[in-house]
This record gives sequence, structure tokens and C-alpha cells, in this order.
Amino acid sequence: MTYVPTAEDAAASTRTAGITVPPETAARMARAITPALTTFAPIAQALPFDLEPATFLAVQKPKEAGK
Amino acid sequence: MSAITDLTLTGIADAIAGKRISSREATEACLARIGAWQPHLNAFIAIEPETALAGADAADAALASGQNFGPLHGVPLAHKDMFYDAGHISTCGSKIRRDFAPDTTSTALARIKTAGTVRLGTLHMVEFAYGPTGHNAHFGDCHNPWNVAHVPGGSSSGSGAAVAARLTFAALGSDTGGSVRMPAHFCGTTGLKTTVGRVSRAGAMPLSHSLDTIGFLTRTAEDAALLLALTAGADDADPTTLGGPVPDYMAATRGTLAGLTIGIPSAFYVEDIDGETAQALDATIATLTRVGAKVITITLPDQMQLSAASQTLLAVEAAAIHLPWLKDRPDDYSSLVRARLENGLAYSGVTYEQALRWRGPALQAHLAAVAGVDAILAPVCPTPAPTLADTDVGGAPDAEAAIQVITRFTRPVNYLGLPSLVVPTGRTASGLPIGMQFIGRPFAEDVLLRIGADFQRNTDFHLAAPELPA
Repeated sequence: MTYVPTAEDAAASTRTAGITVPPETAARMARAITPALTTFAPIAQALPFDLEPATFLAVQKPKEAGK
Repeated sequence: MSAITDLTLTGIADAIAGKRISSREATEACLARIGAWQPHLNAFIAIEPETALAGADAADAALASGQNFGPLHGVPLAHKDMFYDAGHISTCGSKIRRDFAPDTTSTALARIKTAGTVRLGTLHMVEFAYGPTGHNAHFGDCHNPWNVAHVPGGSSSGSGAAVAARLTFAALGSDTGGSVRMPAHFCGTTGLKTTVGRVSRAGAMPLSHSLDTIGFLTRTAEDAALLLALTAGADDADPTTLGGPVPDYMAATRGTLAGLTIGIPSAFYVEDIDGETAQALDATIATLTRVGAKVITITLPDQMQLSAASQTLLAVEAAAIHLPWLKDRPDDYSSLVRARLENGLAYSGVTYEQALRWRGPALQAHLAAVAGVDAILAPVCPTPAPTLADTDVGGAPDAEAAIQVITRFTRPVNYLGLPSLVVPTGRTASGLPIGMQFIGRPFAEDVLLRIGADFQRNTDFHLAAPELPA
């Protein structure tokens, strides 16, 4: 099931960064990021175990550099 | 005066080198035009006539004594106000950095300065480059030279407006989510967003380390090729830059479209676009076909997922960079930029890492989908430039959603780290420019410049200049 953040979730996440926001701000933050989270969720849940971010550089450079 | 400012970057450089026009004449022509247009556009954050004329005189004196500093000897230029120039204020479009004078110079800017340019001042930008329209609560909004009621696009707003209005012969910009391509499209200029790793970002204000790229706003593809040739390549100060030889970009502009295959996406980029943008796309396809390119339809992977991943990286990385100021100086941000930065604090670390991890497979899938084409043709935005009033969302609750609509066709390219070249391809009935983007493979800027240059040899949209408002 796709995770949809609540205002409470957003407020808690923000607190961990050392910032406290009012409830209406937390609600706006949750609403703002929900479309991206729900769209990306199917991908996020299916990523292979042995996959690391530097794969991007490997795909980008060896075959294409210097063309 | 207008004859001088109508020259391209390569044209004015050639004229100065050949002593047909002096650097002072070129600089005075730009300053005169800036003086006339600035009240209408607000394209400059700082105008520095004394510095510019002193630099021009020094360039002329050097040339008279047989000394040529480089390919841009004596050419007056201004750039987006986020490229550090040691000892000069670089506001980054912000209140927080209104008095920030860096002690280093950006590598991209340094390489252009080494080619002999004269500094005109600094160009308007969206606060911390975090917005696609050209609004700025601290320095005032920038306006579109084709209709000052409309946005110029952002975040390289001044770069787009100033190049289109012939106030500078070219300008540096940056593109994290469309910030070079949007102003190029809205203002009717050429705009090149480079591949991640092609041009050093050292000394350029960061917004998102994964997505930030350097770019150029110019009159022509040939001008963009010249700036790329000057700036591309390895830089010890930016370990993400690619080593090895750099293609001959100027030679690439002498190639033709004949023999190239251009892919038109079957979905997403052709959906929900307005009628005049659709007409411009059709006309562009017709031109490409007429001059010898093969145009085919291609099916791309889900672009909305790429866009969502791009938004995740941008939001989190921007929030992380700005966290100290969000804590200590929150009221010194505009409401919109502060709200967008705060949004980034709400993502989980796990989601961010997943967005980073998917980048390789996503690029692999993209490259497989475009294996049969040399570049993709797509609109930059579903519409021409909207009005400043319609896009002044401030800190409104749905501001993020409004911004995502404007940048929906640009964000996937940033996630994949691809190069993209925007060229003017048409005009609306009301006179607003319409540009299209050619999206290439990683590090294949040479192919894009070949396409853009030949397209511009066969069209004249890039030659049109706006008229000074009454």
C-alpha cells in the first residue's frame, strides 16, 4: 500500500531536522509531496537488492563519453 | 547601435578581433540598450558601466598592441547572478546573500573570462534558483521582453530576457529542473542545458548536487557551441566532471540534419499541450523532414515517475543545503521559496535514497528506448509564457502543484542527467515565442548543436528581436 504522509508525519520529519512548523504548514508540506511519493512508490518498492546509486555513472559514462 | 547589438556572440567576437568594431563601441551599445530596456524588464541585478567601459578600453588597448586575450576578446557579457566572481557581489537572487562577495571564481565563468570578456554586471534570477517563472520578492520580478505582462521563465530569468532583448550577447545560466530551457522557450532564445559532468559546477551556487547543470542562453546554436567549447571538460575543483577529450563543438555546428533520426514521443510530451504549441511542434517536424532528417515516433518509459524522482532529489538536496538558514533566517526567504524548501524536509531518507538508486536503471531504460534515434524532439512547456499575475502563487497552499505543471516537460531530463538544446520554433498569434527542446544522449551535446545549427540555417525564428515597449 502506498504511503501517504500526514501533517503529523511532516511535522515529525521536520522536527528531526531541528525546525518546528505550525500545523497548517505541516499539512501543506504533506500535501505538496504526496503526488511525488505516490507516483514514485511503485518504483521504490521494486528496486533490486543489489543496486547502488553509482550505477548511474556507470550507465552514463563508459558507453557514451567522448562520442 | 542596434546593428552592433544585433550581432551574435561569434559575430561580435569576430568583429572585435578584426578591429571592425571596438570593444568600447560594443560595450557602449550594450549599455545604451540596457539603459532603455532595464526599466521595462528588470533583467539586471547590477549594471556596472564604469567597470565595463574600463574593461573595454583595456581590451582595445591590448588589441592595438597586438595582444588578443582569447576567442571572446573584448566582448561584453553579463551572467546569472550565481556564478561567483571573486570580489564581486553575487546575490543569488536572495536577501540572504545580498552582500555576499565570494573569494573564488566559478570555473565556468573563469574559463569564459579567460577568453577575454568584459563584465557588464549581473543578471536577474529567481531567489536561489528555486522557481521556473522569474518572480523575485527581493529584487522585483523580471519581465518577458516580448510582452512585459508575461513571465520570462526561470530561474535564469535575466539571462533569457537580456539575451532576447539584445542586452548581452550571451549569458551563463543553470538548469536543475528547467531553468535554462524555460527562459529560452518563453523568451525566444537558444538554450543549452549540458550533461551532468560536462561543465564544472565549482563556484556556481548549488541547489541540488545531483541535478544541477550549467547552461547557456544565446542567440544561436553556434554561440552555444562556442561557450561550451570554452567551458567543457575536467576540473579538479569539481570531481563530478568527466575527464578525457572534449568534442569539437564548433565543427559539429557545420554538420547537417541529413542522415539524423529524430524521435517524437508517442505520449506525455504531446499530451495536454495548447493548440499553438502543438502547431509549432508539427511545423518543426515538417522542417526537420524537409531538410533531410528522418522523424519517427518512439515510446519512452513513464516520464511521470522520472519527474517524481527528480522532484524528490531536488527537494531534499535543496532543503539540506539551506537548512542552516531555514533555522536561523527563515524570514529572509520569500514565502514561495521558503515553502518549497520546507517541503523537502518532509521526505524520508529512505525515499531519497531510493530516488538516487533508481537513476542508473532509469537511464538504462531511457537509452534502450532511444537506441534508434539521435535525439528526441519535445515541447519545453505545455504553453507559451503565462502572465506574471497568473503565476504569482507566492506561498499559496497549492503553489507546488502550479509549479509542477509548468516544469513537467523539463524535470525528467534533469533526473536522467541528459543534455537538451532549446531553439526558437515559432510564435503565437499574440507574438510570444515558442521553443522546442532536442534531448540527446549523455555527453552528445555535439549532436544537439549540429541539429540546432542546421535547423537555424533553415529557419529565421532565432533572428527575431522584440521591440522596446512604449
